[in-house]
Amino acid sequence: MMKTRTRKQSRDTRRAWARLGGALAWVGYLFLLLPSLIIIPVSFGGGQELAFPPKSFSLDLFIQFFNDAGWWTTAVQSAVVAVATTALSLLAGVPAAYAFSRSDFPGRRALEMLALAPMLVPVIVLGLGMYMHLAAMQMVNTLLGVVMAHTVLVLPFMLVCVSSGLRHADPALETVALMMGASRLRIFVQVVLPQIRSSVIVGALFAFLISFDEVVIAYFITGPDSTTLPVKMYSAIRWEISPILAAVSTLLTLLSLAICLTLMALQPPKPQADQ
Amino acid sequence: MMHKLNTGTVVALLLPLCALMLVFFLWPLGLVGWTSIYDNGLTLDGYTRVATSSLIHKVMANTLEISVIATLTSLVLGYAIAMHLARMSPARRGPYLVMVMLPFWTSILVKSFAFTIVLGNAGIINQFLQWISGGSWHIEMLFNRAAVVVGMTNYLLPFMVLPIMASLLNQNRNLKFAAEIMGAGPLRIFTRITLPLSLPGVFAGVLMCLTLSLGMYITPALLGGRQDMMLANLVDFYTRQTLDWTLASAIAIVLLVFSCALILMLIRAQRNQEAAN
Repeated sequence: MMKTRTRKQSRDTRRAWARLGGALAWVGYLFLLLPSLIIIPVSFGGGQELAFPPKSFSLDLFIQFFNDAGWWTTAVQSAVVAVATTALSLLAGVPAAYAFSRSDFPGRRALEMLALAPMLVPVIVLGLGMYMHLAAMQMVNTLLGVVMAHTVLVLPFMLVCVSSGLRHADPALETVALMMGASRLRIFVQVVLPQIRSSVIVGALFAFLISFDEVVIAYFITGPDSTTLPVKMYSAIRWEISPILAAVSTLLTLLSLAICLTLMALQPPKPQADQ
Repeated sequence: MMHKLNTGTVVALLLPLCALMLVFFLWPLGLVGWTSIYDNGLTLDGYTRVATSSLIHKVMANTLEISVIATLTSLVLGYAIAMHLARMSPARRGPYLVMVMLPFWTSILVKSFAFTIVLGNAGIINQFLQWISGGSWHIEMLFNRAAVVVGMTNYLLPFMVLPIMASLLNQNRNLKFAAEIMGAGPLRIFTRITLPLSLPGVFAGVLMCLTLSLGMYITPALLGGRQDMMLANLVDFYTRQTLDWTLASAIAIVLLVFSCALILMLIRAQRNQEAAN
């Protein structure tokens, strides 16, 4: 009798603690989602004043966004930059990741660390350096300058993604293909690439979204002719708070959601953390 | 058997990466270092001003204070979320993970803008306060330090959740069952088993968040006031407003050194964790 009571008691305290932790976790989830939960309804409220909860439903702000050349041209420029950045980082990153995983030479680890460094260096430092560098090359206020800066910035993410794919690819298949007389290029395209396809797609999505959303470096090196969407947004939040911002924010959130869901579908959560 | 590439192929494959890194990463960083010590002749003027200016000291203190508070807030909320996620079956975890990953992928501008709507004078919280008080209550919540901490915590949380969740998932569940059978209560199991075993993840998360917050630019610029400037805003101020590139570069180098120290600690911690596994 005594024994069952203590067991029940300890089960109750355990449940109470679990509930407390769960409540705190839910505070965290809500806090994380708060910006999206606010911005999406506000953007459909329309009108001149941003209100939550919205008083009426309208697509006004979205129509304004697409009618305002000042806004959508920057969105187009951002898309151009992001696509070019993705392409360049694929061209430089995928071969490099392959070389890193299938070779061993003195200084390989150091070079790998160097290639990952742009991910960790404060972007403001990179922005300042890039600004002075591009100013010396007369490349400030050009989209090419932004593409080059963004390519370096996203390369580490590309390398991490592709390398993790290569770790799960079987090198023995490449050896066999080589013995059968396949050329290097053919081995890469027909044997390696199919095995790492989803990692490459993940890397490309990372590259696209990071470039599309990047603001600090772009703010340093763009001018009137090369303004990207985040730079325009940043100035708008700072100086004017235009209601169109709510529509832009909703569109960006939907883009993030689409990419986030694609990523999660591509890499099913593993029961154990990847080591 | 390990498949190896020959030297020529390796060089060819690495060439584009190395060229890009050299021209658009090492060169710009080197330029920052050079500008910090060169202004019509070698000079340590920039660093002398960093060491003596009370404004810069104040901003450094701000940066440290805001970074530490935001990191600690993220740690508390992040740990609760990580435990909640780690306790679930992998199938159930998916939708919950979306709640962590979507903010991770959302532009920081969107989040900052949302917080100006939530916290602003005509914002939701103030509207609510006015409504319940009949118009007399009003709290200044935007353009101060609390707003910066709220915005930064929101940005940092996913970076805290992911490493802690990974180290919680790595724990051997049998340890907990054994402790339970031996009569340990939930608090004791947490402080003696779960928490100590998750410390590598906590450590990685904390270092990651500190590194990110030291260089934070957007959140203090949009949600903070003049007195909440951080180092990154100061770099921008001297570059753009006063065109004092020497001082801007010196501050950037100081920021870089702090970040590098944290990153080296992070790498070492991760290597230890790998060795332990």
